[in-house]
Amino acid sequence: MMGWGGAGTLLAGCDMPSTVTLEEGREEVISYLSPEEYVIPGVGVWYASTCTQCAAGCGIHGRVREGRVLKLEGNPASPVNRGKLCLMGQAGVQNHYNPDRVTTPLLRSGGSLSPVSWEKAEQVLAEKLGGVTSGRFAWFTGSMSGHQLSLVSSHLDAMGSDKHFVHEVVNNSVAQAVYADMFGDASPRLRIDKARMVLSFGADFMGTSESPLLYSGDYTRFRTGDTRGLLVQVEPKMSLTGGSADLWMPIRPGTEGVLALGIANLLLNKLKMSDAGIPADVRAMINDYDVTSVARITGVAGHRIQRVAALLQERSPSLVLAGAAVEGHTHGYASTAAVMMINHILGNVGRTIEPGARMPFPQLAAKRGGTSDLVAFAEAARGQQLDAVIFHASNPVYTAPASLGLEEGLANIAFKVAIAQFPDETAMAADLVLPAASYLEDWGTQAPAFLGGGAALQMQQPLMEKLHAETRGFGDIVLTLLKQRRDAGFEAFEDYYGYLRNAFAALPASVKDGTASDEAFWNGALQTGVVMLPVDVAPLKSTVVAFDPPRGGNDAADGLTLIPSPRMGLWDGRHANLPWLQEAPDQISKVVWDSWAEIHPETAQKNGISQGDLISVSSAHGEIRTRAVLLKSMHRDAVAVPLGQGHEAYGRYAKGVGVNPLKIIDPARDEKTGELAMYATRVSIKRIAGPEQFGLVKAGGSDTQAGRRLVVTVPAEQLRRTEGA
Amino acid sequence: MSLDNILNHWSDYRKAAEDGGFYDPEGNHPYEHRWTMSIDLDLCNGCNACSTACYAENNLAFVGKERFEKGHAMNWMRIERYWDDQEKDYPERGASFLPMMCQQCGSATCEPVCPVAATYHTPDGLNAQVYNRCIGSRYCSNNCPYRVRYFNFYSYYDDAWPEPMQQQLNPDITVRDKGVMEKCTFCVQRIRSAKEKAKMENREVRDGDVVPACAQACPTSAIVFGDTLDENSAISKLWKKHQVRRNVTKQHKENPELRGYRIFEELNVDPSVMYLERVREEV
Repeated sequence: MMGWGGAGTLLAGCDMPSTVTLEEGREEVISYLSPEEYVIPGVGVWYASTCTQCAAGCGIHGRVREGRVLKLEGNPASPVNRGKLCLMGQAGVQNHYNPDRVTTPLLRSGGSLSPVSWEKAEQVLAEKLGGVTSGRFAWFTGSMSGHQLSLVSSHLDAMGSDKHFVHEVVNNSVAQAVYADMFGDASPRLRIDKARMVLSFGADFMGTSESPLLYSGDYTRFRTGDTRGLLVQVEPKMSLTGGSADLWMPIRPGTEGVLALGIANLLLNKLKMSDAGIPADVRAMINDYDVTSVARITGVAGHRIQRVAALLQERSPSLVLAGAAVEGHTHGYASTAAVMMINHILGNVGRTIEPGARMPFPQLAAKRGGTSDLVAFAEAARGQQLDAVIFHASNPVYTAPASLGLEEGLANIAFKVAIAQFPDETAMAADLVLPAASYLEDWGTQAPAFLGGGAALQMQQPLMEKLHAETRGFGDIVLTLLKQRRDAGFEAFEDYYGYLRNAFAALPASVKDGTASDEAFWNGALQTGVVMLPVDVAPLKSTVVAFDPPRGGNDAADGLTLIPSPRMGLWDGRHANLPWLQEAPDQISKVVWDSWAEIHPETAQKNGISQGDLISVSSAHGEIRTRAVLLKSMHRDAVAVPLGQGHEAYGRYAKGVGVNPLKIIDPARDEKTGELAMYATRVSIKRIAGPEQFGLVKAGGSDTQAGRRLVVTVPAEQLRRTEGA
Repeated sequence: MSLDNILNHWSDYRKAAEDGGFYDPEGNHPYEHRWTMSIDLDLCNGCNACSTACYAENNLAFVGKERFEKGHAMNWMRIERYWDDQEKDYPERGASFLPMMCQQCGSATCEPVCPVAATYHTPDGLNAQVYNRCIGSRYCSNNCPYRVRYFNFYSYYDDAWPEPMQQQLNPDITVRDKGVMEKCTFCVQRIRSAKEKAKMENREVRDGDVVPACAQACPTSAIVFGDTLDENSAISKLWKKHQVRRNVTKQHKENPELRGYRIFEELNVDPSVMYLERVREEV
């Protein structure tokens, strides 16, 4: 039995995990003398799965060699990312192999967390959750979809609670509300590829949107189609997408709605487009926004506004987008509605705004988070309405503004469980931490909210054996919780894999599309990584809702507006523990491994601040200190501090790096949706000290081309002559 | 360039085609493949996906803040960001992004200065770096006009792959140690495995068999890669379409408005990367 083969295997096991049979999720020791069919030493095999680095749900292929996953690439079969993968997806292997994983259950005793066995952890769970009064229990997660969501919903039912708080800092919740009210679909398919012109009010669709790679692919077709599409971007801080604009215009923070009304005024009154479908109140309001006053309020030159309006009429079909910079104000809904009204006037609905995917199985459809649930959770906690909560894939202790008082609220919750992969701030504040498997070790399904066409389930399968024996898949953990509620009826499922197999066997024949057997269907799904689902598509309506006049910027008369800018990379801070992403320079400022404050040089000069100075950024709710980066890609009235840094925990790469601008945000909220007005905090800046070595580290030697022919720019007419675009 | 080659062709080596040239203008050349790349700067949005994919594929060490400041960063593929309208109040035409990596020059300035011929020219038209021959003189880096060679001042692997991160390392290529120069290889390990696979299947390498990690990742498909000796490859067609010729110091295009160009070709280094000009519409 223990021949040479076995001994060799044992030796190899010292620094290399043995291999998993991917089909069964079972662990087996494999002799390299007689390897399984799918393990050929020295040959990498690609397996399909799904990325969970953001909520977009891109399909991936993972290269597996000798039982280890080495490299991730986009899955061409995925209708979301069509074979491409962003930097966050690429860094997924660093999430999986991260040296700072939580590897055993941790239980709070005597004030600190210490390792315990799963047996003990399950016993504590049964004891503490068993005694919770219905309605005083909650789940708190990031955006969720698929069968994991379905299990969480079942657990809530079993607990007699309906409190599922879903929170994302990077979200488009306000726009979703506007889409639903005006077009009858909260997540329409925005066809950037079909537009001849895109006017984007702060929508960073290629960087920090709800599906960056879907829109990046659309952007390529937008730029390379019969006519090269024209991109005009208006925003207070240049985003990744803004960097690619034909015309980038800074706008006074919070006045985007005013500009939208000014454009609507020109389209209706000057360019004589139809005002059909616009409520009388709104129509009357539009007349108040003449070019001169709009230019004064927004800081955008009058001739630009006129030109953009004329171009929008000329370049039909166009697409007008609103992003976080528009949504993030107390009048965010009104501003977003004003922007979306332009689409209605231009007749874009049905042409570049199409019906989105409607998940045929509602229990699997994505539940997308925003910040109103964070506020509601903090209020429930402070108001002593909760006795137990389970956190997963969200880090509210880090993301909650200090003004919400979340930390003192948490003290009121007797039993806090974190299903966590890393020792983040929320896990460190929990009473019981359950070690989660990484997404490359786990089963699951994701239902992307945005995709190229139809509806789909993205398959997630383990690409390798678990690195840490004590970690458990998320679905397995929830199943354990469900089994503890004896009446829930989940005893039949041995594990989450079994649950998924059962769920797939129960899918209607229309989904299986004539596949011979359940086994064949399941294997096919894993092989391609995606299951396309039948959809019924209802046409959109094009209406305009009544909305209040968006105010001209913020309420306070002076001071600067803080822009807590998200980056494709560290995102909302969840990727600060991945060194590749810390070392990937911010796309606009080029800073690495740190926070910084972006300020227009004139604003800096006014405040006596030079490049690299240490400055304080203070709001009514606190102060952060970081270094100044002087960039003209900022509006003079704004200061941007990127999201993602300032962790007090979260492992060696994140902890103690930079500052967290979310902490000093005002708790002001959008009047209609209750979302936090993230872009509305007034701040003042002050110089503290001069630059120093290693103070601010940037990639690249030069900010200008210094006359060299490095990046040559040619006019679009030239392209039209040569490439006919 | 191998040492023999340098000694035998020294007098021709630095000549461009218009001066009699090193390579036979009739098309007789020593190449088996000619791997080249094209990057459309009108599609590149500077997102860093290529750069991170390169870290993942090529065992690039991250170096941390202080070493980054000292210029140790191992970003084989880096994105430069330039501001063009410095005199204006705001950058109205956005940023100018430039993905920059080794241009795999046809007459590379890094090659003849290597005292030990650790950097040489392969029959595939690549500038190869022989890590275990390199003695760390850094002459090559000093001589590279693109600044795309990266030196291992330390054993970066001490910090870059703490347990269990080392399990992610790509076994197809090495981890470089202190004292060695490294740079973009056009993902030579992928080229090699594609060639081996083609050989096993008794066929030529086909267009699309080799996709470097950067081109694979690129969310806007700005990067095209292939063999320009294969006349029917997508990359050959692109070079032809843009009337960009190899082995010249200045392009004489029939249609000078075509977007293709090579950076620093006037230095007579014959770069293998064609960039396509960024386009902006006047509004």
